[in-house]
Amino acid sequence: MKESNDIAIKVDHVYKSFNIYYDRANTLKERMLFWARNKRREKREILKDINLEIKKGETVALIGVNGSGKSTLLKLMTQIIFPNQGTIETKGKLTSLLELGAGFHPDFSGRENIYFNSSIFGLTKKEIDKRLDQIIEFSELQDFIDNPVSTYSSGMYMRLAFSVAINVDAEILLIDEILSVGDQHFQEKCFAKMRELKAQGKTMVFVTHSMESVRNLCDRAVWLYDGQVRMDGNTDEVVNEYLRVTT
Amino acid sequence: MNIFKKIYNYRELLKTNVKKEIRGRYKNSILGIMWSFLNPLLQLAVYSIIFGALLAGGDKTYHIYICVALIPWTYFTTAITQSAFTVIGNADIIKKVYFPREILPISVVTSGAVNFVISTIIILAFVIFSGIGLSWYLVFYPFILLIQFILLLGISFIVSSVTVYFRDLEHIIGVILMAAFYATPIVYKLEQLPANLQIIMQLNPMTHLINAYRDIFYYHQMPNMQILCILLALSILLTVIGYFIFKKLQKGFAEEL
Repeated sequence: MKESNDIAIKVDHVYKSFNIYYDRANTLKERMLFWARNKRREKREILKDINLEIKKGETVALIGVNGSGKSTLLKLMTQIIFPNQGTIETKGKLTSLLELGAGFHPDFSGRENIYFNSSIFGLTKKEIDKRLDQIIEFSELQDFIDNPVSTYSSGMYMRLAFSVAINVDAEILLIDEILSVGDQHFQEKCFAKMRELKAQGKTMVFVTHSMESVRNLCDRAVWLYDGQVRMDGNTDEVVNEYLRVTT
Repeated sequence: MNIFKKIYNYRELLKTNVKKEIRGRYKNSILGIMWSFLNPLLQLAVYSIIFGALLAGGDKTYHIYICVALIPWTYFTTAITQSAFTVIGNADIIKKVYFPREILPISVVTSGAVNFVISTIIILAFVIFSGIGLSWYLVFYPFILLIQFILLLGISFIVSSVTVYFRDLEHIIGVILMAAFYATPIVYKLEQLPANLQIIMQLNPMTHLINAYRDIFYYHQMPNMQILCILLALSILLTVIGYFIFKKLQKGFAEEL
């Protein structure tokens, strides 16, 4: 990889905290009557001073126990939420698979939903037309593609959503705990596709609890603990240490 | 500017959103898109009967006088009302996918404009069949619509983003729009008001837009270009301010929803 010096994602001194309200006053009336109530809130720091540089073409896993801030970090990279302090820069077209099938419309057919969903990822009609067959083929839903999505089983739903997301042609893929899509056969297909994307030099960031898939796919692992980077490096080293400490 | 490029890149999303809003509005109703015509027509019938008896003073074309104003007014109110819901209604994709959030208010105002253009058929049908006829002043229609579009865009940016943090706005808007209906010369003539009230009405941007629509469809005269150009400038200013408010507030959407 000749461009391996290029940084795809740069996380620079990022802090993120959420306000936790005990009993939230939402309306004007409530706010005026119970103004003291809103003060009963707690600022919870989710991420503290995160610094991370992910190079182009790298496949990185974010690991850590629940509540360690992995998903928050991924959401920050996607620009769904924004840091309180620090900056995050990404270079290149970015797709996130935080939750499959977000934006699916149950009353519309699978085919129409491919168009809706791809357009949320920023594709034009022409680009979607070009990919349509490929997406349908990957999902293996040829016989059902013109039925409304509400008639799909959850497995079929996931397959369609994954097929759309994986065919968007992004340079950076952010994937949150979704490698458990469909049956054994489809999972293997997904892994094969990910490896193919990896070979094409795409940058990928995973959040997952499956250490097996981390070992399988990633060349670098970042262990988050309590909102901070505890360990960052070679997959095997980090995973072994993580397993040693947590189990 | 960066924002125009972003919107251009996501034009397909804008298109599908507009389509969804137009088709979705009357989905599962038997008459479907026909409601786009029936709704204003029935409303028009009610107003013509009530206010016709009160205010028309023997004017045989009074119902057309209302019609010309009511259709753009409907565009105005539906766009603002929907703006209050658009971010909240799309909460689940906002929380899960990145896309330029500006698409949401823009598609509300755009789908309203499409609906308005279709509804203009009603105005045309009325003026043609009543014998009022058409005039070449109709060439100003796109210009007036453009001003209304930009004005609404500015309002929509503000309303859609502020409602997320301040849910009461949704109800406040309902009251304001109801009052604004009577503060705009839709069912009466401006001259029927006392002089001091007339001056206040001049501050209402919809007064001037309605007057302009009436000029080209009803009175067949040149709309007041000076006022329209000032209105255009102010609308652009409002949209720029609205955009910055939206841009600032949208950062917290995913957390607030």
